[in-house]
Amino acid sequence: MSLLTDEIRALVGQRRVYTAPEPFGAASGRYFGLAIGDDNPLYRDPEHARAQGLAGVTAPPTLICETNQYSGLPMDDEGYAGHRWGIQIENTREVRGGNAYVFGRRLRPEDVVTATWEITDAVEKTSGSGAAMLIVTSRATYTDEHDEFLAENTETIIFIDLGGQS
Amino acid sequence: MTAVSSRRPGPGTPAVPKVGDTIPPLERRIGLPDMVAYAGATWDWYQSHYDPDYVAAKKLPGPIVDGQVFGALLVEMLQDWLGPQCFVQSIDFTFRNLMFAGESVRCEGEVSAVHVGSADGAVTEDPSYVDVTMTVTTLGTDGRDDRFAVKPASARVLLGRADGTGRP
Repeated sequence: MSLLTDEIRALVGQRRVYTAPEPFGAASGRYFGLAIGDDNPLYRDPEHARAQGLAGVTAPPTLICETNQYSGLPMDDEGYAGHRWGIQIENTREVRGGNAYVFGRRLRPEDVVTATWEITDAVEKTSGSGAAMLIVTSRATYTDEHDEFLAENTETIIFIDLGGQS
Repeated sequence: MTAVSSRRPGPGTPAVPKVGDTIPPLERRIGLPDMVAYAGATWDWYQSHYDPDYVAAKKLPGPIVDGQVFGALLVEMLQDWLGPQCFVQSIDFTFRNLMFAGESVRCEGEVSAVHVGSADGAVTEDPSYVDVTMTVTTLGTDGRDDRFAVKPASARVLLGRADGTGRP
């Protein structure tokens, strides 16, 4: 039986839009730098940032693609509080394939982020071991309060057929 | 997170990299407190990233490091190599194997292409850039390579400017 059902095909093109309830803030970038162990002064020293031609401190570039800060969503039963499509396919294992980010400019503390998520593709393939796989591709486009492009995050989620195993 | 090596730009940082140049690697141990901090910093409290009871019920060997942190570490490696006058315009990475709490990774890469733009400095419509290919390897307890966490990965980094050019 194909994993690429009419129901899955109908998801392609679906969009969800989230706008943060407040500016991103300088502390978010500084906190993320601390969490990942990146002591780059661009994230915590405004004088250093200005000396490099920036308006002030910024955040680690990938944070905008990693955070759920903008979503305003409540935690689910497993503690997750970010965007999800809610795709559940019986008798499959869900794994993450990868991410591709594109950045327009560095994030500023005053930016109010809007994230627009869209399912761009769903395709069925066969793994090297012969298992059927459904690959769902989503794209998040991040803009500021003036609709200026900040970044884009394309990610793939793979549903692998367990072939009757649970 | 425990930095195994410090890689702030030094006298050895190439002004204009060449194809084949290797990037000073970044090694990092990621412990459970780091993962808790990452969960807070990203507003992502998914239990698989810090809750030993939750992952034990899923028959996993330990809390799973959020794969997107590898993108952050690769960008850190690139910026530490090229200094503040660079801008990572794009990066992509494919996950290979899970990494668990307490393990260490090594990020590494090399230059695959160099483009010299029409002008030096920060303002140009044809900026100089380098393309790089990269991997992230999870290390065993003996410090040797154990398995790929990320492969392949690649990035384009603009040179001579601290900020981007808008949508590429």
